Amino acid sequence: MNSSPPPSRPPLRSVLLRSRKRTILGFDPQTLIKYFFGSNASVAIIVLVLIMVFLLREGIDFLPTYQRELQTYRRAGLEFCDIIDQPLQRNQALSSSLRQAVSASLETLSKSARDRRDAAFLLKRQVEDKTARPRESLTQALEKTPPAPEQIEVMRRELREASANAAKALSYPAFFNTAEREQLQREFAALTPEAADLPPLLQTLVAEFTAKDREARAKFAPLVQAQEEFEEATEPLQEVVDQIKAKALETKEKAVEFAVLETNRQRLLEAAATETDAKEKASLTKEAAESVSEAVNLEESIKEITGRTAELREQVEKYAVVIEKAAAVLPKDAGTGAARSLVNEVREGIPVHAREMRAAAATLDSWRWDKPVSIFSVIGAFFFGTQWITNSSWQDFFGFVPLLAGSLVIAAIAIVIATPVSVVAAIYTNQFASEREKEIIKPVIEFIQAIPSVVLGFIGISLVGNLIKDVSECSWLQWVPGFPIQERLNMFNAGCLLAFMAVPTMFSLSEDALNNVPRAYIDASDALGATKLQTVFRVIVPAGISGILSAILLGLGRVVGETMVVLLVAGNRIAIPDFGSGLGVIFHPAHTLTGIIAQELGEVSRGSSHWQALFMVGIVLFAISLLVNWCARAVARRFEPHKA
Amino acid sequence: MNSVPTNDNPFAGDNSGIQQRETAARWALRVGSYIVVLTTVAIMLHIFVKGAPVVFRSQWPFVNTQFLTELPATLHVIEDQQGNHIETDVNGADAVKKKLGDNFRAEKTISYSGGGILGPIVGTALLVVVSVGVALFLGVACAIYLSEYAKHGKFLEMVRLAILNLAGVPSVVFGLFGLGAFVLTAPRFVAMPAERSVFAIPLGFTTLSFEGWDTCVLSGGFTLAFVILPVIITASEQCLQAVPQGFRETSMALGATRWQTIRYSVLPFATPGILTSSILGIARAAGETAPIMFTAALAFKDKLPWQKDLPPLPADASIFAHWEQSVSRFLGIFTESVQALPYHIYTLAAKIPQNEYAERAQYGSVFVFLVLVASLAASSVLLRKRLRAKYRW
Repeated sequence: MNSSPPPSRPPLRSVLLRSRKRTILGFDPQTLIKYFFGSNASVAIIVLVLIMVFLLREGIDFLPTYQRELQTYRRAGLEFCDIIDQPLQRNQALSSSLRQAVSASLETLSKSARDRRDAAFLLKRQVEDKTARPRESLTQALEKTPPAPEQIEVMRRELREASANAAKALSYPAFFNTAEREQLQREFAALTPEAADLPPLLQTLVAEFTAKDREARAKFAPLVQAQEEFEEATEPLQEVVDQIKAKALETKEKAVEFAVLETNRQRLLEAAATETDAKEKASLTKEAAESVSEAVNLEESIKEITGRTAELREQVEKYAVVIEKAAAVLPKDAGTGAARSLVNEVREGIPVHAREMRAAAATLDSWRWDKPVSIFSVIGAFFFGTQWITNSSWQDFFGFVPLLAGSLVIAAIAIVIATPVSVVAAIYTNQFASEREKEIIKPVIEFIQAIPSVVLGFIGISLVGNLIKDVSECSWLQWVPGFPIQERLNMFNAGCLLAFMAVPTMFSLSEDALNNVPRAYIDASDALGATKLQTVFRVIVPAGISGILSAILLGLGRVVGETMVVLLVAGNRIAIPDFGSGLGVIFHPAHTLTGIIAQELGEVSRGSSHWQALFMVGIVLFAISLLVNWCARAVARRFEPHKA
Repeated sequence: MNSVPTNDNPFAGDNSGIQQRETAARWALRVGSYIVVLTTVAIMLHIFVKGAPVVFRSQWPFVNTQFLTELPATLHVIEDQQGNHIETDVNGADAVKKKLGDNFRAEKTISYSGGGILGPIVGTALLVVVSVGVALFLGVACAIYLSEYAKHGKFLEMVRLAILNLAGVPSVVFGLFGLGAFVLTAPRFVAMPAERSVFAIPLGFTTLSFEGWDTCVLSGGFTLAFVILPVIITASEQCLQAVPQGFRETSMALGATRWQTIRYSVLPFATPGILTSSILGIARAAGETAPIMFTAALAFKDKLPWQKDLPPLPADASIFAHWEQSVSRFLGIFTESVQALPYHIYTLAAKIPQNEYAERAQYGSVFVFLVLVASLAASSVLLRKRLRAKYRW
């Protein structure tokens, strides 16, 4: 470089002609153009940062707001009530099991009589539905004054004909014998709007059932009695708890009202401080002074609540004794095996429940109303809270776990279904398919990407839900856990549709990964005499595994972030799925992180704790999406095959 | 297919077992991939079978014009004593009832299911226009930088990472972002800043107040623009990269500046590709629901965006006043909230009880929506194919 001669001076002519090099604000236009495009490129970064900023701006106040709310919850004594009230909820579950056991036992005797009665009533309703039109006309004509006898006669005949036809067209269940069938048909055909009494055969059926039921109750008297006792046992305790709850709620409402007034007053004072006009200032200050309200004496009211601790404990003890006694006298035998296992469950559950209640009563003394709520416990209450309760008259809780659980279960179902399908399709199209097959499979799968998610959600409601429900009612599929399903809209339904949505992403990325496997690997495998199948599964797939894994992860990201399908199809029940029921849990409804935002954000006012909580959920979702992306990149890099 | 092929090689062992296994595995893979294809086709067929009768008619003009040209309305179904069902709208209900007189038996109302879906179609079109306009501008400029200017370095890596991550952000989070940024904070010119304004810059004759645009086409369009931005950037960059390097080198060798090179030797060849690929962006923008839920969409609106009540002009108003009103009417389109097709489908599917009348509206809307989106996607694919055949270098 040093050897090159110093640049000679440009010839005069060119200096003269090119002296006016255009500049804008002292910049070369080419540089400006470059910066223009560069700044546009940075839009992606800026948007990402802005998303974070705006989510945080609306959501970050959630923690202090929620802390304040929980503080009020404690100070007003609501927490005190919940110490007893929460474990008491278990009582309902136990007594409902017991009720089921009782009804199952009773059914062993009374089932056939009840079925006959119910079937007869159902048939009667069907006849009535079918003849609704003539019946209504007749009723109207009868009510008319003066009555028109001829018209009524015509209508009566019409109704009789319609009823007779309808009664004939009914399909009578097998447990009615021929005589009964004929009688039913006769009675239905003779139904008139004036007749208030039931037809005779129906009356007989009702009487039959009542007799059977009484007999059954007599047979299982101990069980029935135990169930009644158990249900009554909670009453005195519940009464005391309810009284305390009412008091606590009153205090809380007063405290909240005071807080609102106080913030308004502060705002007035602030305005007065910045106001320059003396007159305005005076009026603002005066207004603020007028709106001073008396603070609620929390200490006083909490004393009233804690003053009843002893009474409460006594009631809990009494309750525990009563239910333990009820458990002791629970009969060993019940009508059916299912009922017996339910009774056993209750028998084991009651002592546990009693112990929980006693433990709860013991902690009452150590509860302090003025213990501050630390910010860590607030964070814990959000991230590990198991209840998401809003618009409650008692207390709003923003617990994150039920939503996360719903999202994760649905995502797991979707990935379990989508992974094999899309990987298999990718392997097939990439390695085995003929050109013509490729031209069918690839565009169709890519077309799935263009189907809007709301359309798929609609398909889930109108088509897939009914399909799954019908299939689950097939008698030869009853071994599947969770069948027959209760709800059309459930996590499995949503998972299937999300799997369908995730297929194109996973398929194209996996296919790319397989495409990127170096040609030399395949040639080497062929040269060693491996069959096509061996080459594919021993060489190509292992070499492309990093791409396939990252495709699955990106599919997961898509599934977790999808909104409309889960909002429409997942069933929207905010509760932690009941994992106790084994694999059948996938047929339960649930709510999700994305669904809750879409569903509730439209209805809350800006700046409320609920609004902020929803933005917090958004922040978590954003973090999850970044994390999934990062993982996908990391996986792709980690298993990168050594380039040949 | 399982017959043992004749083996010419006398030294080869008996590999009929292997052959069979190969064939079985191949068929298993084939069945797996055709499951996806068949499911897709089945879903499409289901929608076509249920939706086409709503939109098409067996007589002239073969299309249900009412469904495509009217605004959504509440459907009134009136039943008479003979069991006939008469469908009508709010205004017709009383007349029908009066005509039936004693013969009247019952009336049912079904929200959103009457009329047509013109409002949602118009709203979706407006949202798409705004979003694709914004996204194309930003996206193509970003792609030009990435493809033509950028050198390897920290900045480039960050941009690429940001684009990747932006593509993975859930759409509902974009909705939250749009709500926070455009609906509640974006700057606008107002005479008097609202109370919620973040801060206001007085400019003398007016004030630039950061108080947001409210729920309107602009907010929704901008939000959607950022949803589809990664798609557009990636597609445009691919198209720019596909232009042979030689074009640029030739241009540079002739003494053109970099901008001239881009302007005259790169963009003309990349533009058709960019436009066709961005059709996919349009399909995506039209299909998204979550981002517009809180930023633009309304469940029900009985007016089209340009049917706004403006004060009538005096008879002697100048041409300038007419002109001004037309402009304000046109600009008003973008500051109105609208109905959108995907949100309309959501409302129909989730907010009203299922019955035959609602089902008709649902399948009709889904059918129209799907035909629109699918034809966009298909035209993009076809055009790309033709372009590939045209430009071969």
